[in-house]
Amino acid sequence: MSAWRFVRRHVLDAYALLALLYLFVPISVVVAFSFNNPLGRFNYTWQGFTFKNWAHPFGYPGLSGAIKVSIEIAIFSSIVATILGTLIALALVRYRFRGSGSLNLLIFVPMTTPEIVMGASLLTLFLNWKIPQGFGTILIAHILFNISYVVVTVRARLVGFDRHLEEAAMDLGANELVTFVRVTLPLIAPGIFAAGLLAFALSIDDFVITYFNAGTTITFPLFVWGAARVAVPPQINVIGTAIFGLAVGGMLVNVLLQNRRAKAAT
Amino acid sequence: MGRFFHRSRWATPYALLTPGTAWLLVFFVVPMYYLAKMSLEQGLFPIFSFGWAWHNFSDAVTEFKPQFLRSIEYAGIATAIALLISYPLAYWIAFRGGRWKNLFLLLVIAPFFVTYLIRTLAWETILADDGVVVRVLKDVHVLGADGRLLATSAAVIAGITYNFLPFMVLPLYVSLEQVDPRLIEAASDLYANSAVSFARVTLPLSLPGVFAGVLLTFIPAAGDFINAQLLGTPQQYMIGNVIQSQFLELRDYPTAAALSFVLMGAILVLVLIFARALGTDRLTAGAAA
Amino acid sequence: MSDRLTRQDFLRRTAVGGSMLAFPGLLAARGAAATRAPFIASAARDTLPKTIVFSNWPLYIDVNNKKKTHPSLQQFEAHYHVNVQYIEDINDNNSFFGKIEGPLSQGQSVGRDVIVMTDSSGLPQRMIELGWLEKLDKSAIPNIKNLQPTQRHPNWDPNRDYSLPWQSGMTGIGYDPKKVGGTLDSVTELLTNPKFKGKVTLLTEMADTMGLVMLANGDNPSHVTDASWSRAVATVKKAVSSGQIRQFTGNDYAPLLAKGDVWACFAWSGDMVQLQADHPGLKWTMPKTGSMIWTDNMLIPKGGNVYGASVLMNWFYRPDIAAEVEDYVNYICPVVGASTVLAKTDPAVAHNPLIFPTSAMLAKTHAFDGKALNNQKYKQDFQHLIGA
Repeated sequence: MSAWRFVRRHVLDAYALLALLYLFVPISVVVAFSFNNPLGRFNYTWQGFTFKNWAHPFGYPGLSGAIKVSIEIAIFSSIVATILGTLIALALVRYRFRGSGSLNLLIFVPMTTPEIVMGASLLTLFLNWKIPQGFGTILIAHILFNISYVVVTVRARLVGFDRHLEEAAMDLGANELVTFVRVTLPLIAPGIFAAGLLAFALSIDDFVITYFNAGTTITFPLFVWGAARVAVPPQINVIGTAIFGLAVGGMLVNVLLQNRRAKAAT
Repeated sequence: MGRFFHRSRWATPYALLTPGTAWLLVFFVVPMYYLAKMSLEQGLFPIFSFGWAWHNFSDAVTEFKPQFLRSIEYAGIATAIALLISYPLAYWIAFRGGRWKNLFLLLVIAPFFVTYLIRTLAWETILADDGVVVRVLKDVHVLGADGRLLATSAAVIAGITYNFLPFMVLPLYVSLEQVDPRLIEAASDLYANSAVSFARVTLPLSLPGVFAGVLLTFIPAAGDFINAQLLGTPQQYMIGNVIQSQFLELRDYPTAAALSFVLMGAILVLVLIFARALGTDRLTAGAAA
Repeated sequence: MSDRLTRQDFLRRTAVGGSMLAFPGLLAARGAAATRAPFIASAARDTLPKTIVFSNWPLYIDVNNKKKTHPSLQQFEAHYHVNVQYIEDINDNNSFFGKIEGPLSQGQSVGRDVIVMTDSSGLPQRMIELGWLEKLDKSAIPNIKNLQPTQRHPNWDPNRDYSLPWQSGMTGIGYDPKKVGGTLDSVTELLTNPKFKGKVTLLTEMADTMGLVMLANGDNPSHVTDASWSRAVATVKKAVSSGQIRQFTGNDYAPLLAKGDVWACFAWSGDMVQLQADHPGLKWTMPKTGSMIWTDNMLIPKGGNVYGASVLMNWFYRPDIAAEVEDYVNYICPVVGASTVLAKTDPAVAHNPLIFPTSAMLAKTHAFDGKALNNQKYKQDFQHLIGA
């Protein structure tokens, strides 16, 4: 084929590759700097290669506790928020009911609220209601701000959903619940998964709202921002890379197993 | 069993939305009420007294108009750029990702596993004044001899764009992945070339995703403060920085509250205009049978 | 809302609040640190509580990287048979204050016995005015005699009734002599030399930035007047609008200085110690006109256990313990005698003037006027300068 045709065919691939590259150029710097060997406490400029950060990733006390808390909160809050948000999205898209306009507004407003204001006013609530601040309140806060993002994301999926498929299932004798579980849910699953990922990302990186509602609990971002006044240890890069690596690795294994199962089935 | 569900159909939406809505009402609306009260108070920390101080709002708008406008501008530009970068990526993952789709989605949010501070330090390394990128730009005369990339509006907008990219990619993907490839086949059977079938089949079907992505990017970006703080000069400071400073440094809670409500109101108005422009029914009410 | 809650009230309400949430397992295991009696004098004034809660800035105490412990705290625990809960959750004075002012203003305890806040933020002074700090039990702090003489009578706590320094730092000019072309010890030159245009940063800390500028203008930052304030504002404004000042930063000037994006800036002595480890060419000087000094102070918030906190503070004023902490933290030690101990164990640290400044250096340091720190108009002016 001509060169021009080749280009046109692959222009999308190239564009996507560039976009991914853009996403990952700073990450590659982060990964590289996890092998940095500074003498001082700041990991700002390249000083030499070493494996010792990877050998002792938790060399800074408090770092392992912080990352554990962050991951737990991210997992729990994204699961709960995804469930609550998906239910709301279903209600909004499929039914006409009184109050749907107000509910729409209620979904948007939390996203528009500046973080510091949301964090501080939530703290005021906890104080007024004598709720001790700690892991539980961080969880509440994270679920709170995640719901809106889940609703908007899942809704984008539901809006394009072809209801005829559900009708067909019901024509074949399935009741509403069965239809929902075996037709609807699998088809909107990518939307739910994407929403869950978004919620996870929001939660694991949140700083301002978490800070106000954490009591004496430390999460990973809280630790990093707090430490930054006196140190930026390469271990932070190690931990970030490791989590990402584990997640991607896990996903990779999953896909490979699925491929194998698919091949075995044929 | 089927008849049971059928009769209680009117209750179903309420049943679905109650848990989430209750959460929002308790943990968001109630604090917002207190915030609204605070916005009408006046005084010096820690003594604030309620006085229907509407002037808080007018003062806020007049004094900080530049930062308000700048925030809308930066968030708007960042959203537009994010859309341009994300749409092809989301399209590629949706149509060409195959079994690896979920993996690519994970890759998209991967930067969030490393905290914001570390990501930004990495960008500061890449865009440093005597780094490769700046040197190349100077050689091709895009930048002047004493130009720089950091501590400029470009840096702030780039920071916002980069950090909100997943918020644009994921909703776009969600919508694009649902497009039935057979529709595109059908279009080409009807003699449409790829550009036309994209413009008249794919794009319209992906509009809900575009709408969602734009919202999820623009709305939080308008209130952002951290990018301006780390990557900008005083001339780049956004309304988020102002609210931060009013709240934490000046402890002027009424002004901070009033500023927040003005920002929230402005964003909501813009969202409504945007929704109208795109045609909301299609985007939020869904294809009701 | 009553201001004086009885212990029963407080515990009962906490229980109700706790049961409202549907995560019993999680909550029970995690941080219910606020179930402490508020505003009640310790039952027995001279007995130590079982746990002392110490909130501090991260990485601000000695660390044994291999065992992941804090030796100074471990030794304290062994000596006194009490538990120390050490929490590194202070990362910014104003944010931390925003977090604790809620409970304190409502008469609730914040569940901490010792907290550490910086004098140049104006917040320790504010908290004294608001009555949110407990007085130290000086009878439990005999080692207070080891406090550096220059630190004994700060203008905001003249008898050290409420505070005891943890570490100090000096603010001066950090720069790269190669880029700047020699020594730079003039704030005025920093702000006006066109060769440095766009390569200079100042600090978002009002006391540090305005203090240094005032000194350069010939004014006294320890006694701020409207006139001296306006002069300083005008000086900074000129530098900002001419493009001389690249940014106002917290300590994120450090990567910029290290990479050469910034040639000279207002910098903290402790940062320079760390930067110099990897970039020995970088220098820190006290400006000719004088530098600012800030101190992170140990404070006892209302409701904290006064005796326990005081005993803990006393521990860190033992020269050997202070030497342990100093060897790691590398800011300025307020304890006399620590340098003598360190001269034997880590002479490099003991002889570093950025960690143990000479009395001649200390004589040229100034603390910012405490009243001006809480003057709303000055604060607004400064916020406008930095863009907010």
